Amino acid sequence: MQRLGELKLKPQKNTRTIEEINAKIRKGDAQVLTAEEMKKLVESSGVEVAFKEVDVVTTGTFGAMCSSGAVINLGHSDPPIKIDKAWMNNVPICHPGAAVDLYIGATAMSETQPYEYGGGHLIEDLVKGKEVELRATAYGTDCYPRNSIRTNLTKDDLNQFYLLNFRNGYQRYNCAVSSRDETIYTYMGKLLPKMRNATYSGAGELNPLMNDPDYETIGIGTRIFLGGTQGYIIGEGTQHEAKSQNGTLMVRGDAKKMSAEFLRGASFTGYGTTLYVGLGVPIPILNEGLAKKTAIRDEEIFTNVVDYGVPRRNRPKLAKVSYKELKSGFITLGDRKIRVSSLSSLKMARHIAATLKKWIEQGTFYLTTPVEQLPLDTAFKPMKQTETTSFVKNVMQTAVTCKETEEVRTIAERIVSKSVNHIVAVDNSGKLIGIVTSWDVTRAMAQGKTQLADIMTRRVFTAQPDEPLEIASKRMAEHNISALPVINDEKKVLGIVTSEDVAKLLGRRT
Amino acid sequence: MVRLLLRFSEEIVEQPIVAELILEFKVPINIITALVNSKGGEVLAEVPQESVDKIVKALRKRGVKVSLPKLIEVDTEKCISCGSCVALCPVEAIAFDKDATVVFSKEKCVGSTCSACVDACPVRAIKSVKQTNHEFSYAVAKGASGKKQ
Repeated sequence: MQRLGELKLKPQKNTRTIEEINAKIRKGDAQVLTAEEMKKLVESSGVEVAFKEVDVVTTGTFGAMCSSGAVINLGHSDPPIKIDKAWMNNVPICHPGAAVDLYIGATAMSETQPYEYGGGHLIEDLVKGKEVELRATAYGTDCYPRNSIRTNLTKDDLNQFYLLNFRNGYQRYNCAVSSRDETIYTYMGKLLPKMRNATYSGAGELNPLMNDPDYETIGIGTRIFLGGTQGYIIGEGTQHEAKSQNGTLMVRGDAKKMSAEFLRGASFTGYGTTLYVGLGVPIPILNEGLAKKTAIRDEEIFTNVVDYGVPRRNRPKLAKVSYKELKSGFITLGDRKIRVSSLSSLKMARHIAATLKKWIEQGTFYLTTPVEQLPLDTAFKPMKQTETTSFVKNVMQTAVTCKETEEVRTIAERIVSKSVNHIVAVDNSGKLIGIVTSWDVTRAMAQGKTQLADIMTRRVFTAQPDEPLEIASKRMAEHNISALPVINDEKKVLGIVTSEDVAKLLGRRT
Repeated sequence: MVRLLLRFSEEIVEQPIVAELILEFKVPINIITALVNSKGGEVLAEVPQESVDKIVKALRKRGVKVSLPKLIEVDTEKCISCGSCVALCPVEAIAFDKDATVVFSKEKCVGSTCSACVDACPVRAIKSVKQTNHEFSYAVAKGASGKKQ
């Protein structure tokens, strides 16, 4: 297909094929740029020149990818065992196959060192050639009589050890902040109170799918850089959604050949363990359109700032920011400048894109034509829930209130007449100013104190009506208190939730 | 300025030692962090280079344990330069350099009283270092001669 405008003296071809690129790689003539270099070239010389000069653009990303893991085959013991439960270095291992096929999930945590050692670390240790301890139990059958086994293994003792990640390389990801009053620990890292920091993940303009957003060249069978060796895309990843630019990849590669430089076990405090995966995809520049697409810049890639302080599926989206802002170290939220830093490594992403470039230049890596394109029409649906979930608003009761100016005796009478243990102090507009318990009142009477203002607690732990009941219940347990006033954003008291109400509800459920 | 870690025992914690020295030597001593209670105190302070010798001497005469603070240990082999720690640092002692490598400024770091970065490191490459008595004389000897750690 040739466009009229391009008919010059010497007719120019305006497409190239993967076969042509591979022929050039064989001869050592292929022109390869990293995605960052490509953007500079397009900026300085234009799309047309970039298409003519560049055969392949390499991308890279290095981030925590929780939906990762490794398939291993142990071979048979004598007498044989049909493994029921298994642990490696005390990390529980899935046993999805027949007798001795196991799957190490990156987020499975060690039973002896939870949060600090997990499947990701185990995969890293195996990749490094370290010896690991396998323990397994079984129920025993006529053909597999053994009930238990314990042995030490390295990757060389395994028949298969391959990385099989069902969701990697998210096209872009949220930027996280927290509106809570306390520091929270999430899969998006440590989030300081009152949005004092922000975190993000992803390589932006170096990200594989962002450089080929219509998945023209990326699909099943695309050969890629994975964990320091050659691997393959075996399909779209779980939760893949192209139309919202949330594409993902499912990948596979031989972990025996991988390097721990590009596969690192990690611990997210309070969340758990995971695996940092190094992944890079070569984009063949088959036409000018691809030259243009691979020129995408950080300022053209946007993501949402999301409040991870709200533990709900639909967390509030507070703003839109570009990867340029994210990489600058500051984002602006209203009139506030918030410091932001990444959880994924830009340095490693660049290293991966550069390594892949070197492989292609040296003729050790050839491109493949995918046998099927990644889907463009799948949607990421929420879970269908057949049981109702309880929220604070479902169990809260009307709060018995008082004014700060009232006397302790009046409060005591109210506690008796209303038969409650907590009285919420409000101002004239119904806003929360404090709380007083029956115990506070008893003590005040014993000590001869008469003014409520002297005995009420002013720093009150509260709940929001839309919070899951579990969160409110956890908050009460953590602070050893028995009730939380329920307030709205303006601090207006809407009700009260007590540990008794929670216990009653949970009791009913069982 | 040279950073010193001053430790006050229970017996002397109530005395205004730092204030006395500021007045006596007319030297600006900048207090970076302080953790003080009835059982003792730990103060991270900055003293001008040229006054380090006399201030250290005077502090020790009054029973203050003085050391050069070694506040944080970063295992650069383990570090993957992800940046999880960068925005958490309240004194901007952690930053990305030009090639996106995470770099730590030991001069800016306020150490164990903060430690905000330590539990945020996914590869556990950061350790907050507690001083031991053993390190005191060695560290101060080096510090007094104006060398960095």
